[in-house]
Amino acid sequence: MNQEDILRALTEIFRNVFDDDKLILTRQTTSNEIEEWDSLNQIKLILECEKTFELRLKPREINTLHDIGGMVDHIHKLIG
Amino acid sequence: MTKPSSKNSLISYLETAPFPLPLGVELDKTAKRFSKDESARKMAGPKINVYVLSSFLTDFLLDHLVFMLARRGFNATVTAAEYGVIGAALLDKTHQLHKSQPDVILILPSFRDLAHCPPLGSSLDEAHAAVSKEVAVWGCLWKNLAAPAVQMTFDTPSTRQLSELDGLTPGGLTHHIRTVNLALPVGAPSSVTFIDADTLTQNIGQILWNDAYLYQLCKQPFSMTALPFIADAFAAQVASLLGRSRRVLVLDLDNTLWGGVIGDDGLANIELGPETPEGEAFTAFQIYATQLRKRGVILAVCSKNDIDIALLPFREHPSMVIKESDIACFVANFSDKPTNIRVIADNLNLGLETMVFVDDNPVERELMRRELPQVLTVEMPDNPAIYVAALDACNAFPLTAMTHDDISRADSYFARNQTQAIMTTTSDIDGFLQSLNPKMYVEPIRLANQARIQQLIAKTNQFKLNPKIFNVDELTEGTFEVLAVRLTDRLQDYGIVSVAVLAPDHNGSKDVIIKNWVMSCRVFSRRLEFAVFEEIFRLAKHKGAVKIKLTYTPSGRNHLIADLLEKIGFEPLPNSKIFSHSIDVCEGAIIQENHYMETFYL
Repeated sequence: MNQEDILRALTEIFRNVFDDDKLILTRQTTSNEIEEWDSLNQIKLILECEKTFELRLKPREINTLHDIGGMVDHIHKLIG
Repeated sequence: MTKPSSKNSLISYLETAPFPLPLGVELDKTAKRFSKDESARKMAGPKINVYVLSSFLTDFLLDHLVFMLARRGFNATVTAAEYGVIGAALLDKTHQLHKSQPDVILILPSFRDLAHCPPLGSSLDEAHAAVSKEVAVWGCLWKNLAAPAVQMTFDTPSTRQLSELDGLTPGGLTHHIRTVNLALPVGAPSSVTFIDADTLTQNIGQILWNDAYLYQLCKQPFSMTALPFIADAFAAQVASLLGRSRRVLVLDLDNTLWGGVIGDDGLANIELGPETPEGEAFTAFQIYATQLRKRGVILAVCSKNDIDIALLPFREHPSMVIKESDIACFVANFSDKPTNIRVIADNLNLGLETMVFVDDNPVERELMRRELPQVLTVEMPDNPAIYVAALDACNAFPLTAMTHDDISRADSYFARNQTQAIMTTTSDIDGFLQSLNPKMYVEPIRLANQARIQQLIAKTNQFKLNPKIFNVDELTEGTFEVLAVRLTDRLQDYGIVSVAVLAPDHNGSKDVIIKNWVMSCRVFSRRLEFAVFEEIFRLAKHKGAVKIKLTYTPSGRNHLIADLLEKIGFEPLPNSKIFSHSIDVCEGAIIQENHYMETFYL
């Protein structure tokens, strides 16, 4: 999976968790731009990512990421 | 004003969460959407305020509670205190809990709250003292409840420090949890009702209940998949507490109470009773419905049939468990079922929201859901073996407390007397057989039993004199005298389990020939064979016979017949398979062992 594939899969996950089919993610998107992105939805995002990409995300590492681009790179690094 | 579409949108939400709820269903998104959809929520029922106190994170549970409460007929507003403050919130009169004036309070503690688990090696007395301490803590808290409460008993961890002993010995945490859970309802005021966490855990499965990873992530101890089930357990109990339990079980007949169609198949061919596997399943379902009736649920019938045909099994089928007198309202006609269920509701003077509808036909169910969503329509499985499980899993008739109205007193006194009788007599085999209170019913062949009689003779291999079988016409044309024997006891109705086919001897005498005699292996060792032979003997004597004759053909599987024949006084004729019994010689000596059967003639 390359970064583009990961971004596409992430978009699916976000649309699902936030129940919004029109949601668009870019590498620059941050949590400030998605109104419902609170700590509870963060948990759901983590669970969904772990299921989809078949990996374990450490909350401490996730919390240091600044935007979706950081998330894409992090996942890319983990799944090689 | 409500939008015209809101009833339909409520129905489409509820369709994702049928009764019973399928295990593993993901309802997150639906529950969340419903929570936000005010017009659909308004359609669900009266408005209530619910306040949640818990020892762990319940944020993910809240939308599910709103949704499951709607499924049970409420428009609920659910508020939760921050987790971990059950005690503090109840004791602090300035806490938001007391200001919000809830209609009902939900309390979800955790085994992690238990403060007095006795140490390893404690005695039973010390363990009981520890339980009392835990209950005393709750006694103080419950005094501060300003509304009725539904509390979950303590859940059990999936790990056991003492292995198998953890739940069985004082000093084990599981043992402590179990004994506290049994003591809580005893010590609680009537305003507190409980959800049995152990049963809920068993139904969902420990794996879904205990999710260590989620607990680590966000202090929610169970998986997301468990949420709808936990929410529904609370919703059911809230419904009962606020007087919105269902009261009436409306039953279809064909393929619901028995297998087959009474109008087409007739009394002889519907499947009901212990003779066939399917019949067994329908009997189990009837027993379950009867048990519901005994604890206060009203039974009604709604069938597309002529009334006379619909009533036939109730009046003439020997295996009907539900009696005509058990049915408070019996409607059989060819109108549509939503119309008929309105008739039933009017007749019983109860609302549609008290009705539970059971029908094997998916088309009827669909129509009922569309027309009358306030009726709880049970999603019945194809296989009648799981009818009981499906209805039971709906938890359609939740109970918060047993009242004298609910229980038929006479029934329970009867049961108690029976138990005492058993305890005093089960020391030996004779006492045991006697304690079963066996009853033998001798029936003539007739429409309702002829298929079973024919089939029992054909299918039996072990207790069978010879290979002679008969078709139904032969059996019913009057050439033979057919004795069909049904056995019942304290525990169950075994159905027709033995058949003897008798004929006059054609040698000019009045002697009787047993053309064949079979008995089901399910009732071996009950001494029924002696009772049946007594009947044959009595009948032969009545006819003036001097001898009873039969042909015994060893088949390799029917050797137990040989022993029996000798025991009851048959002697083989020389060089022949024919055995003969001289009535005059053996009178009074045929039965060496008491069979304790009470005999009835139908």
